Amino acid sequence: MRITCPCCGERALDEFAYYGDASVKRPDIASPTAMADFVAYSFDRVNAAGPHRELWYHSAGCHLWLVVTRNVANHEILNVEPARDVARATQQLPTPGRGSA
Amino acid sequence: MANPTLAAKSAFLGVQSLKHPAFTIEDLSSLTIASITSAKGKSAEVKAAIQTAYGVALPDTPLRVTGNGIAFIWHGPDQWMAIADRGTNNRDIEVELKPVLEGKAAVVDQGDGRAVVRVSGTHVRDVLAKGFAIDLHPSAFKTNSVAITHAAHIGCIIWQIDAAPTYEIAMFRSFADSFMDWLTHSAAEYTGRH
Repeated sequence: MRITCPCCGERALDEFAYYGDASVKRPDIASPTAMADFVAYSFDRVNAAGPHRELWYHSAGCHLWLVVTRNVANHEILNVEPARDVARATQQLPTPGRGSA
Repeated sequence: MANPTLAAKSAFLGVQSLKHPAFTIEDLSSLTIASITSAKGKSAEVKAAIQTAYGVALPDTPLRVTGNGIAFIWHGPDQWMAIADRGTNNRDIEVELKPVLEGKAAVVDQGDGRAVVRVSGTHVRDVLAKGFAIDLHPSAFKTNSVAITHAAHIGCIIWQIDAAPTYEIAMFRSFADSFMDWLTHSAAEYTGRH
């Protein structure tokens, strides 16, 4: 299996580390339903055969976090995006320039 | 008591250099190296400052650009490594870049942390192919191309400086000896030397 990093191009699997499901969002620990939310966040998985969104880290390359859409049935990589772009698009990160230097 | 002085020593002690038409190793131990890491959202300001000071455009893709004796090597998103020869005036790239990038980027000396080796020769691609799992064919990797990858389990940054081809490879200094072991053994079938 090879992953095409948006920065580095196509690289072998051994340059990347898998960091889990990218389709779930970490719950708010202050929420009154935090316990149930975290149980769901940690354990509830559809486990469908087919495309799956996953977090990968280009640990031996540019150190970019990636959201990889992979068909878990045949390992076909359907899409690779920088995780920060995905997070910004879903309002989980500030846009560039708003952070303090 | 006289002031103590620090003398730079090669990280590749014991190998130093290997000169063979098939494969040549040159130890670059007189470099000054600094990392440039943009402050959040200030990448454009960093590029503008370097453009003004050195007349070069910092790349957003894995490339190397040169200006005023400094090579700027892409080192991941919004990050670069600046490399220059210390020369006879003991040039210090960190001291030079800090005022240029004040408030825009973290500039940190890497001269003690990284070791750099230059390799060339008629079989250089054959030797490197034994450890680098990237395509070094001229159609894919050209002069000024850069790759952050690993070879023989050692994290490396490799870039090409001319079409000969000649490559330079940087790694963490403590891996220099191990890397050189791998390199000389990989080259042995072409150079006859272990």
